[in-house]
Amino acid sequence: MSIAVHWETAPSGLWSRMSLGQKQLIWAWGFLAVPLLFYVVIRFWPTFQAFYLSVTDWTITRPASFVGFENYTRLYADPLFWQVFRNTFLYLILGTPISLLISFVVAYYLDRVRFMHSFIRALYFLPFLTTAAAMAWVWRWFYQPVPIGVINDILSSFGIPQQPFLRSTSQALPAVLAPAIWAGLGFQIIIFLAGLRAIPTTYYEAARIDGLSEGAILRRITLPLVKPTLVFLVVFSSIGFLRIFDQVYNINTNDPGGPLNSTKPLVLMIYQTAFSSYEMGYAAAQTVVLFLILLAISLLQLRIMRDR
Amino acid sequence: MATIEISRLVKRYGNTAVVHGIDLAIQDGEFVVLVGPSGCGKSTTLRMIAGLEEISEGQIRIDGRVVNDLQPRDRNIAMVFQNYAIYPHVTVADNIAFGLYRSKLSKSEKRARVEQVAETLGLSQLLERRPSALSGGQRQRVAIGRAMVRDPSAFLFDEPLSNLDAQLRTQMRIEIKRLHHRLGATSVFVTHDQVEAMTMADRIVVMREGRILQVGSPLELYEKPVDVFTARFIGSPTMNLLPASLRDGRAQLSVGGSIQAPSSLATTSDILVGARPQDLSPVDAGSSGLTVSGTVAVLETLGSETLVHIEADGQTIIGSAPGRQIPKIGEPLTLHAPAERLYYFDKATEKALAIQ
Repeated sequence: MSIAVHWETAPSGLWSRMSLGQKQLIWAWGFLAVPLLFYVVIRFWPTFQAFYLSVTDWTITRPASFVGFENYTRLYADPLFWQVFRNTFLYLILGTPISLLISFVVAYYLDRVRFMHSFIRALYFLPFLTTAAAMAWVWRWFYQPVPIGVINDILSSFGIPQQPFLRSTSQALPAVLAPAIWAGLGFQIIIFLAGLRAIPTTYYEAARIDGLSEGAILRRITLPLVKPTLVFLVVFSSIGFLRIFDQVYNINTNDPGGPLNSTKPLVLMIYQTAFSSYEMGYAAAQTVVLFLILLAISLLQLRIMRDR
Repeated sequence: MATIEISRLVKRYGNTAVVHGIDLAIQDGEFVVLVGPSGCGKSTTLRMIAGLEEISEGQIRIDGRVVNDLQPRDRNIAMVFQNYAIYPHVTVADNIAFGLYRSKLSKSEKRARVEQVAETLGLSQLLERRPSALSGGQRQRVAIGRAMVRDPSAFLFDEPLSNLDAQLRTQMRIEIKRLHHRLGATSVFVTHDQVEAMTMADRIVVMREGRILQVGSPLELYEKPVDVFTARFIGSPTMNLLPASLRDGRAQLSVGGSIQAPSSLATTSDILVGARPQDLSPVDAGSSGLTVSGTVAVLETLGSETLVHIEADGQTIIGSAPGRQIPKIGEPLTLHAPAERLYYFDKATEKALAIQ
């Protein structure tokens, strides 16, 4: 009661003259200001800085001076860039569909399993929690020749010749991609499961009464209704594969991106340009190119998959 | 068009039985309503008829054919769900056409059927719309359209009106009833709302805890409830039940006063005397009926009549007064019910004693 009286007896001041809506607005912006400021300083400012650096020749030892589009023309002429560009897109166009297909199939059947449902789900989610470095080391062992490598062990027990995996320029990229896909499955399965759970069971019951087969139910009801989830995961996982780095870096620490740059993605090239060669301006130009690729692909996917 | 026969039907989940061996025969073209409180097994029974739940024991025959092991699609039934179950990603026309998924008709014939059904339900203008652009009542009509389009041998309704507001519910009730008259299809309708049951059913099946308590026409259930549960479940407001003890052919009411009991009641001493609020009024009905006095506690004005709650000996009794003779709260009031409008139940078994 005394508080109410206090408020009533203090009608003056800017705060008490404001409407309820204005007060809410001030509170909202008050809370938003802190993360917003943090974001501007930590994320946006360096981003703009990167755009600026990409048109300079800064190398840490030398102050930055404006060089125009020289870094970009150099990048365009660099055969390594085109190799890396190809690798990055291979990660994307193999990784995204394969990982989504596997995770959807797993989620689709896991959704129907009641027995040990949570345990199985946790099992799939576990790799997502594991550090990429530890995982890369384990997979590196898997790919070793007999008798260390499990995969070659299994192959040889079937009489199949030894595979070089990480040592081959043609097999290394898929071999690096496999643990990357495996690591992301848990997350995608959880998201797909949430999408599938959101579909009311009566939709399926009505379909069964109408006589739709399992395949028809999947095609005509389940897939269209998980489409929003699918769009999210396609964009999310595409960005992930375009930015692949730690999996590649850790699985081949002696020669990251090797053999002969056959597994090197764009982010690794940026890393090496910046922190091995210290060509900051050139590295910044590469990040700008990566940024534009990510932007273009995300927008393209959203446009294609948006509901018409 | 078909008959549905249910015999010794049991549904168990693990060790828990939720339907305990029920028997029911539904005639061709009949509109049967399964009614009961939630958890009474009415929806489970309906879902077993549809084939969405497996039958633990017993038999269901549709048109004389045992359907226990048939897939839902092979039973030629149609079902309307509480949440409509119409698909948000396709148009109204496509939703209705889902009902014809297995039909061998050509595309144009299917289209014609869909249009014909839409015409019947007043959906013709909405065929190209998405369900999200429809109101609740229109969505419900689409769901009914999908059920109708196939000419099923029976319609199953699983609380289809529960998601609608009160006014729409009344309207859809009439529409479904009218459709049933027109199509004459066997229908099984599940609801927990006794008003829906009373207004729509040819026959009502009252269920409780997985058992059928009573089957009969709405009026039979209203006039001759077999037990306290049905008596209180059917009719609104619920029937007043006054404890009484039989002595020398008269029932002494615990709230005071006595009534001349029917002679057939001699078998037991503790009984419940039932009186519907509509039969309990301040108008004097003569000496033979029930008379209770108390103070007015609550008034519910309905316009056509006023429901009067009186307190008598710690018990609340609901009666009704004519619309323009409204008593005052706190005043003493005496209510009367004619003898032929009273119900008698055994207090221990809660079964009806003498049915007039």
